Formats: sequence, structure tokens, C-alpha cells
Amino acid sequence: MSNSSKRSNLRVMSAELSLLSRPDGSATLFQGDTCVMSAVYGPGEVRINKEQIDRATVEVIYKPRSGLPGCTEKSQERLIRNTCETVLLSSLHPRSSVSLTVQEMQNSGSLLACCINSMCLALLDSGMSMKCLVAAVHCVLDFEGAVFLDATDKEEKGAQACVTFVFDSVDKNVVMVHAVGKYSVEQFNKCMSVCRTASADIFHFYRETMTKKLKRS
Amino acid sequence: MYSSSKPAETAKISVRAARPLEYYRKFLEKDVRPDGRELGEFRPTILNIGCISTAEGSALVKLGNTTVMCGIKAEFATPKTEEPSNGYLVPNVELSPLCSPMFRPGPPGEQAQVLSHFVNEVLNQSCCVRKEDLCIKTGKLVWVLYCDILCLDYDGNAPDACILSLLAALKSTMLPAVKYNEETEKPETDSVKTEPLHILSNPVSSTFAIFDDHLLFVDPTVQEESLATGTVTIVTNDNDLCLVQKPGGSPVTADQMNTCFERAFSRSKEVLRLIDEILHSIER
Amino acid sequence: MVDHVGTVFLPGDTIHNLNKSEKTGKIIIGPGLRQESETIIVSKPGILRHKEPNIYWIDSHQKKYVPVKGEQVLGVVTAKAGDVFRVDVGGSEQATLSYLSFEGATKRNRPDVKVGDIVFARFLVANKDMEPELVCMDGAGRSSGMGVIGRDRGFMFTCSLNLIRKILSPGCVLLKTLGNGNRFEITVGMNGRVWIHGRSVVDTIMVANAISAAEFMDKDQIRAMCSKLADRFIVVE
Repeated sequence: MSNSSKRSNLRVMSAELSLLSRPDGSATLFQGDTCVMSAVYGPGEVRINKEQIDRATVEVIYKPRSGLPGCTEKSQERLIRNTCETVLLSSLHPRSSVSLTVQEMQNSGSLLACCINSMCLALLDSGMSMKCLVAAVHCVLDFEGAVFLDATDKEEKGAQACVTFVFDSVDKNVVMVHAVGKYSVEQFNKCMSVCRTASADIFHFYRETMTKKLKRS
Repeated sequence: MYSSSKPAETAKISVRAARPLEYYRKFLEKDVRPDGRELGEFRPTILNIGCISTAEGSALVKLGNTTVMCGIKAEFATPKTEEPSNGYLVPNVELSPLCSPMFRPGPPGEQAQVLSHFVNEVLNQSCCVRKEDLCIKTGKLVWVLYCDILCLDYDGNAPDACILSLLAALKSTMLPAVKYNEETEKPETDSVKTEPLHILSNPVSSTFAIFDDHLLFVDPTVQEESLATGTVTIVTNDNDLCLVQKPGGSPVTADQMNTCFERAFSRSKEVLRLIDEILHSIER
Repeated sequence: MVDHVGTVFLPGDTIHNLNKSEKTGKIIIGPGLRQESETIIVSKPGILRHKEPNIYWIDSHQKKYVPVKGEQVLGVVTAKAGDVFRVDVGGSEQATLSYLSFEGATKRNRPDVKVGDIVFARFLVANKDMEPELVCMDGAGRSSGMGVIGRDRGFMFTCSLNLIRKILSPGCVLLKTLGNGNRFEITVGMNGRVWIHGRSVVDTIMVANAISAAEFMDKDQIRAMCSKLADRFIVVE
């Protein structure tokens, strides 16, 4: 079984849109037992020192389940914000702000991927103009070089490398990578191709969720 | 001659100031950057090891104008009960208002926090220093290495400079020989005898900037960073990869990633040769 | 191509072979669609709609209002600043409303507008790079229903932009059936705000609830709801 992909499927996903009444868009996403809730406000009023004359200012607040945010959370925040900036057509709303809150509800592995996917769903729910969609897929490499897709927290602990990829929906190119551990270029490329294949499931899931929402009325 | 060249010179300056993107595009069409570098060329790297005499290890790195100093300070500490034979490595990156007007005094800003987290991840994931090596007496006494990285001049590409200064400083670190006295439960240091720190692997970072969604070039300056539509940071660890980070920005293809990997590995060799040379020259 | 219409599209999707106008060979694209060189790309999630012969747009669900030129909205006056009033319309920044842009207003004869008033106005300027500007007159200088509405009476509430478009669409039976055998005043702004004034407080609340409830109903359900409510109105009297 070694050197082959051990789990080629993502965990079961379920999402609920517009759960919160105040934000302009919100989404709760379960990927297995990992759960993240995201809320978007915008385009809204911007603080004068953050105003950009050619595009909207994107702010992301990442809230850990407990405790105060530290360096790790700031780092997560930046990854989420930059990904969000890539997909939003922020030039359509200059001198305004888009603020996003990502709340971790439960972490049982693949947290960053779940954060980005729930962010994308919240943006879809808000109906803001976007260039394309993004799908985040997480996988781990064990010491035999086998790839575990959408790893649980237990699998993450015993892993040689943890990799999160974000692909865009148009060309399936890499928007974001966060890969840590010890791995060769071949292994990296293998993870990338496995994750790219799996990203199609997420895009399909987005479409299903949005169709359910839009066909209601 | 003089009078004819002057208007052209002013025109060049005004184009650079008013339309930096067009200015860059004109150069990049010819596969060269305004400072004369090719796309895959790093700025001249200057390394000085052992510049802080009071620290256990130190290094000063200049990557073009970007100047970063790293000092390693060793102190005694008691280990955690769940890991009784592990020492501590505490990295911290400081981007003070001294290095650029972009940074404000006060608590560390987002970029400093992100950099600190990055350095910490590289230290932990590359396993370049085994934490067991920092143990003096299991369960009683271990070394804690404070790796303070201070940016003196910020002109882009801080991650590469930080990792390079950290590696060089760690390689030059000499820890005093310590004996643990069982009766008094106190450490006894030998002031003359010192031992070098074991460095098991060599993490080297290379940062690429994406320009106009398709062009990749290495080692961006501050201006290039602000014009770039994304960055890719690759940390190699000898023959393996240790960390690949692309925090959003323009999408890249798998082929582009592979070109980056190739360049990162060749950069790794260049850097390690440089560190070895400097270390040799100090010994002599 | 007909099969595209009515299906759900997500941002980044490309749409091919749309109907071109026979005369000009052009396609008119509305909200949620954008052109990139020769292709048409979707930028908002929603259902593709089509109007003969060549008009296309995406019908998307959105809560946040973005000002559009010519649209009539309900705003709340938040401040008086010299010659203009600042009006909150629910967009990313407050709109301005000049005191001269009311019917019959002159420098001498200022309109009676106070902070906190609700105004029904039309966007004269709505541009992403400029501050939005409202007027309370039509092209001929008449108020045509716009201006301060319902001071000290009535009730304003917000709902989704989608619902507004639904109740204002010519095919919607909601307001007509609600108005059968029951009198109330209503003003609907494109920015998701509805102002209602019924004969009693209970009436007003009932109409407001009926409108909110109609978001996911079809025609028959709306009729059924209205007939149920009609009984209630009589009870109140």
C-alpha cells in the first residue's frame, strides 16, 4: 500500500449558508469533524487610514477556538487574506472595506483548508463580485511516502509533511501553498496532483450548495 | 552632450516615480531588472560571522541593501515535564522603525509576527538543531537558545535574509562546556572550554516575486515587492524541501513551481559555499 | 444556448454562444457578468436571466446594497452639512442630498427636512469612484412621490435585495392581493428598505410580516397567505 495514495477521498462536507442574520454573507462549513464559521461584511465604510483609492481594503480576523490570537494566528490570517484578495474583484468597490471574520469552531485536522473553503462559501453567500472560486485541499505525507488526503488531526501528528494547496476554479492553478515538513520535489508534485484532482469535488460541492440556496425562491 | 542627456535623465526619473509598473515592464521585456540583475539573480550577499562578541553566536547579512543581524543567546532553563530531555529554541524577528518607515514603534506588527512564525516553522521543521542536543541533565537542566533577529535596513526579501543570518549564527554558536553538579544541583561552567553547536541540516530560503501574473523573479527589493502580484518562498533543507509557502497572489502553474525549486536548490549550494568560506576564514 | 438560461452560474464560469442582436451583432450584459477580451465571464453567483433579444444578466442574492444610478431608495437623514444633507442608504458610504433638489425648493424656501427623517429619493450620481448623490425630483422638476415620507408615523424595515426585486416585479401578486380589502401606504426602496403605514399598528406589523414571509413563496402560496390575513384584518376592525 506504500507509495500510493491511502485515502483518495475528502471527508464528508456539509455547509449552511446565511446562518447569521447581521452579516452580508455567512457560512458554516463542516469537513469531517472540523468546523469553521465565516462571516463577511461589505463593501462597507472604511477607516480613513486604511482607505485605498483603487480597490477595496480586505480585512480578515481569524478567531481561534480559545485564547488570544498569536503569531500562528496572524500567519493564518495573512494566508486567508491574501487568498481572499486574489479572488475578489476589489477594484469594483474602491474606498470601501470588505471585512471577514473566520471563527474556528472545532479542529480535527485540515483546519486551514476548512477556513479557506468556508471563506469562499461566505463570499458566495454575500453575492460579491469575484474573479473565480478557490478550493483548499489539505494532505499529509507519512514516513513511507504515502499521501493521506484531508488528514485528521491524528494523522497530522504522525506525518512527515503537511501540505495545503489552494486552487482556482478556472485553470486549476496554485493560488496558495503552505507546505511544511521534509519532502522531495517529487513528493511535493505528487501531493499537488492528488490535491488538484480532489479540488474538483470541492468545486462541485460549492455548486450544489449554491444551487440549493438559489433555487429555493 | 551634457545638456542633451539631462532631459532624458529627468524623464527616466519621472517615469520611475510616476508609473513604476510601466517602468518595470519596459525592463522586464528585455529579461533584465532596473538594477541590472537578471531575473534569476540574487543581490550581492555579504556575510559577517561573529560580529557580536557577547553573544554565543552571531551573524550579519547584507542582501543588497537589506541588512539583518542575528544573535544567539544561550541561557539555562528547566525543561518541560512532558519533554524532559528537550531544550528550547526561541526565535524572534524584530522589524523596528529603524529599518523602514513602513514599521511603527510599539508591539510587533503583522509582518514581524508572520516572519517570526516563519522562522519558527523553519527551525522546527528542518530539525537543523536537535533539541535533545541542548540537554545538559535530563529533567533538570537544558539550554534555551534565544535567536533574536533584528532588521537594520529593510529593502525587501526579509525571509531569505533572516534564514541566512539564523543559519550562519547557529553555525558559529559556541556553547560553554557545562557539568551538572548532582550534590548542589547547580551547573558548573568551564569558562575556557567551549563546544560548537551541532547543526544537522542546512535550511536555505529563496523568495520569488510574481510580476504581471506570469513572470517570476528572485530576491525582490521593496519596490518589486510592492509591485508584485504574489510571492513564493521556498526553504530547502540540503536535498529536500522543508517549507514551501505561497501566501495567495496570482496563480502559478506546476511548471513554474518546478523552475522555482531548481533555482532554490542552486541558491542553497551558493549560500552554503559562502557560509563555509566565511567560517574557514574566521578559523584561520 | 437556451439551456443556459435559468441555471446557476458561479464566479469564474464562462458563458458561450449567447444570442446576438441580429442588427448590431452585439450582446448586452448586465449585473454579474463581465467581458474579458472575447469571452463572457460570470462574476457573481446566481441564475442566468435573459430578455429578448440579446440582454443577459445574473440574478444574484445579495444583502448589501451598492448604489445604481436612477434607482429609487429609502434613506435616513443622518446630518445636515451646509448645503447638503447626508443620507444613509445602506451602501458603503453615505449619499448626499442637496436641499435644492426638492420640488419647489429655492435658496429662500428651504424644504422641511430634519435629521432622522426618512426620504424617498433617486440616485442622480452613483459611481464607484464618486460620492453618491440623491435627488427628490424627477427630470421635469416634480416630486413624483419622492421626498420626506411619513414623519412620526409608519414603520421601516429592511429585507434582502432579492425580495425587493420580487415584490416590485410586474408579475408579483403580493401587493395587489394584500391591498384587496385593506388600506395601507407602502414605499419600497431598491436598497432593501420598505416603509409601511397601515390603519393601525397591528395592521402595519401584519403587512410587514407578510412581506418578509413572502421571500420564498410562489404565487399560489402568496394568495393563500393573503386570504388568511384578510380575515385577520376584519377582526382588528
